[in-house]
Amino acid sequence: MAVKTIKTPAVIIGGGVAGLAAAIDLSRRGLSSLVVERGPRLGGRVADFCCKATDSCVRCGACRLADLVRRVAARPEIAIYTSAKPVAAEADGDGWRLTLEPQRNNGPAPVVELAGGPLPRRSQVQAGAVILAVGATPFDPSAKSRFGYRRVPGVVSALELEGALEHSLAELAGGRDPRRVAFIQCVGSRDESLGHLYCSRVCCGFALRMARVIQARRPGTEITFFHMDVQTYGRAWAGELAEMREQMNFVRAMPGEVTAGPGGPQVVYAAGGRSQTAEFDLVVLSQGMRPPVGAAALSQLFACTRTSDGFLGSDAEPVASGAAGVFIAGSARGPMSIVESIEHGAVAAAAAAGHLQPLVREAAHA
Amino acid sequence: MLLNDCDPGFKHQVAAEPGGQGIKACFACAACTARCPVAGHVEGYDPRRLIRLVLLGRREEVLASPLIWLCSTCYSCQEVCPQQVSFTEVLTAIKNIAARAGYGPPATEAVIDQLAAHGRLLEVGEFENQRRTDLGLPEVAEAPAHFQKVLGVEPAGGKS
Ligand SMILES: Cc1cc2nc3c(=O)[nH]c(=O)nc-3n(C[C@H](O)[C@H](O)[C@H](O)COP(=O)(O)OP(=O)(O)OC[C@H]3O[C@@H](n4cnc5c(N)ncnc54)[C@H](O)[C@@H]3O)c2cc1C
Ligand code: SF4
Ligand code: SF4
Repeated sequence: MAVKTIKTPAVIIGGGVAGLAAAIDLSRRGLSSLVVERGPRLGGRVADFCCKATDSCVRCGACRLADLVRRVAARPEIAIYTSAKPVAAEADGDGWRLTLEPQRNNGPAPVVELAGGPLPRRSQVQAGAVILAVGATPFDPSAKSRFGYRRVPGVVSALELEGALEHSLAELAGGRDPRRVAFIQCVGSRDESLGHLYCSRVCCGFALRMARVIQARRPGTEITFFHMDVQTYGRAWAGELAEMREQMNFVRAMPGEVTAGPGGPQVVYAAGGRSQTAEFDLVVLSQGMRPPVGAAALSQLFACTRTSDGFLGSDAEPVASGAAGVFIAGSARGPMSIVESIEHGAVAAAAAAGHLQPLVREAAHA
Repeated sequence: MLLNDCDPGFKHQVAAEPGGQGIKACFACAACTARCPVAGHVEGYDPRRLIRLVLLGRREEVLASPLIWLCSTCYSCQEVCPQQVSFTEVLTAIKNIAARAGYGPPATEAVIDQLAAHGRLLEVGEFENQRRTDLGLPEVAEAPAHFQKVLGVEPAGGKS
C-alpha cells in the first residue's frame, strides 16, 4: 500500500494551547502548518478546565482555548489530524521527514469538530520545521506517599477537584458535605528529594481560585491553605490576596503527613513551633508539573536536548531544541500558565518562521 | 538583636562541618517540625527555627542553647524533608561545633572528663578488681591514653 506523503512548511506535534497558538502565528505570517494531536480532541489540558469566575473574571485563562479554536477554524492554512502521533523522524535536507501513526482513542468524543479529523492511516509528512508542543505531565501525588493520596479517603488531587467543581464535591469527600477543606501546595514541586527543584508556577493560583469558587458557592466553608510561600505570577494578586487572607486560613507550613481519622483526613503540621493535628472533610493536593512522559522518546526521535529540569529544549534559549529546524513550544519546555504557553507558542512560531524563510524563498525561485 | 550582631559566616561553618552540608537548602517549610517527636513535647524545640537561626548567623544563641542537645536522632525530620537538609546530621555538626567552642552540656562535659581520666565511664580501682577476681573474671587496667587522643584532651583530664 502506498504511504501517503503530506508536504507542509511546518508540522506541530501537540494540539494544546501552545500548539494552536503556534499554528495561528505561522498562518498570520503566511505559512501553512499541520497540527498533529495524539488525543481525540484539541485543547490539551485546558479542554478539561472550567471557568473559575465568581462575581467577576479571575483571569484563570480557561476561556482562551475557545478563542484559539475559533481562530484555528477560521484559517484554512491550518490542517489538523487528531488521534495521531509521530513514530519515526529523520532530518531530511533542511527539514524533517516524519512518520505518523493513527492512535486508537477510547476517550470521550471530540468536543469541537474541526476540519481534518482523525488520521485515517499511517502517513509520511515532509516539513521544513517541527514544533514540539506536547505539554507537561501532572505530578502523580501518590509518589509523595506521606500525603495519603490513594490511601486516605478524602485526599484528592487538585485536578480531581477541578473535575468535580462543576458537579458535586461530596462525592470526592466520600459522601460528606465538605465544610472543612485543606489545600497542600507544592506537591511534587520545589522538592530536591524528587529532583524537581522548580516551582510549577500555576498551582498556587489554581488552588486559590478553586478555593474562592468553593467559598462563593458554599459560604462558610473553612479553607486552610498549607504553603511555603504564595507564588502567584504575573497578575495583580496583591489586593485579592489580602482579601483571601481574611477569608481563609493561610498556614505557612508544609504538613508532615496526612492520616485517616474518624471524621475525615487528618493533617499533621507545625504551628507555633509545635506539632498539631487538624481534621478536614477534604484535603486537596496541589500537584505540580513534570517533564512530558514522552520527553525521552521525543528527544531521541528529534535529536533534541533537555533542560536541566528534564523538560524539552535548553536552559539557555527559550524555544531552541538543539536540533536544526526543531522548536519547543509551551509547557513541554517547563512549567507555564495558559497565557504564558500561548505567548511561548507564538515565540516558537516566530523562530520556526525564521528557519523557514530561506527555504520558502528558494521554493519561490525554483 | 542587631544585624551587626549576626555572624554571616556561621552558616558556612556549619555547612563545612561533616553532616552540615545540606543546611543552606532549607526552604523553611516546617515538615520536619510537624513530624518531630521532640517538638511535640518540648516547648521551643523547633527544627525549622533552629535552622533559620543558623542561617541568620545567630551563632551564640544556637551554640549556647540547651535545645540543640535534645534531638532523639529518630531521623523523622530527615525522612520528610523535601530539600534533603538532613537535620539530624546538621544538628550533629552544630553539636560538634558547640562542644569545641566549650558549650557542651555539663553532664556531657563530666562524661568526657571521666573518659579522659579513666578510659571508662566507671572508675576501676582495687575494689572493682577484687569483685572481678571473686567472680572468676580477669582484672582490668585503666587505659585512658586512647580516649585522650580521640577526645583531644591533655592526659591531666582537663579540656584543651
Ligand atoms: C494541576 C494543574 C493546574 C493548572 N492550572 C492552571 C491555571 O489555573 N491557570 C493556567 O493558566 N494554567 C494552569 N495550568 C497549566 C496549563 O495546563 C498549561 O499552561 C497548558 O495546558 C499548556 O498548554 P500546552 O499546549 O503547552 O500543553 P497541553 O495542554 O498539555 O497540550 C499538549 C497536547 O499535546 C498532545 N501530545 C502529547 N504528546 C503527543 C505526541 N507524542 N504526539 C501528538 N500529540 C501529543 C497532548 O495530547 C495534548 O493535547 C495547570 C496545569 C496543571 C498540571
Ligand atoms: S505555584 Fe505555588 S504550589 Fe506551585 S510549585 Fe510554585 S509555590 Fe508551589
Ligand atoms: S523539612 Fe527540610 S526544607 Fe523543610 S524546614 Fe525542615 S529542614 Fe527545612
